[in-house]
Amino acid sequence: MTQADERVKALFAMDEPPARDAAFATAVMARVMRRRFQEDVAMLCAVSLGGGVAFCAVWPTLQPALVAISQGLAPALGAIALAICLMVILGGRPSADLPLGS
Amino acid sequence: MGPASLDEALVKAAQGGSAEAFSRLVERHQQAVRAFLRRACGDWAQADDLAQETFLAAWSRIGRLKAGASVRAWLCGIGYNKHLTAIRSAGRERARGAAYEADREVSLEAAPEDRLALERAMAGLPAEQRACVALCLAAEFSHAEAAEALGMPLGTVKSHVSRGRARLLQALGECDDAS
Repeated sequence: MTQADERVKALFAMDEPPARDAAFATAVMARVMRRRFQEDVAMLCAVSLGGGVAFCAVWPTLQPALVAISQGLAPALGAIALAICLMVILGGRPSADLPLGS
Repeated sequence: MGPASLDEALVKAAQGGSAEAFSRLVERHQQAVRAFLRRACGDWAQADDLAQETFLAAWSRIGRLKAGASVRAWLCGIGYNKHLTAIRSAGRERARGAAYEADREVSLEAAPEDRLALERAMAGLPAEQRACVALCLAAEFSHAEAAEALGMPLGTVKSHVSRGRARLLQALGECDDAS
């Protein structure tokens, strides 16, 4: 590299951005995250829409089967739902031996 | 771990969906991409916007990056394409031309004469030549690396660098020892 090239390179180096720029990196990652979120929402919408359409299409076939099954399984499903509710309610309470006071 | 192997590890993680790894790639390469775009398009604010778009595009295309490829060259290549797209939109080109001249008057008012001469000489180069000069003379890319990044034949890059260098040296009042 000649002396003239060194001079050109030194002049170019004067407008070099900083080696670390948190503001720039943060701005880029914010845009990346926004893009990711938009893609996720778009995918969820597409899947929901597809699922809804498929469900509508099979509903005439599905409905009689569901009615027949539900009559037999209703008591069992009711008991399971009650058990789950109880577990959620009781599981959410703080335990009596937790050191709540001093 | 060397810079190349660290890049490779980060690319692999980012390809697996790690935003943290991609964030580290942004930190590692933002300086090179922004410096290249500043020199290629002249307008610093637009260069930073293009750099952001470059990284955003890189996030979407990271899966296509081959193992062992230079991340810096790949990013500069994306940035160069973004820059060309911006140039091709005629309205923006005119606006940028005007903005460029206005910006030069303001930001270089207190700059040394040499720097002003270099900036003006760079502004006078065609876009392809400017990009080759920005990579090979300012950022120490090899001709082959620049050819890969810019998607140009090696001979074209060499010719652009040689002509651009001669114009810059002339503007700085240097004699061309290499020729």
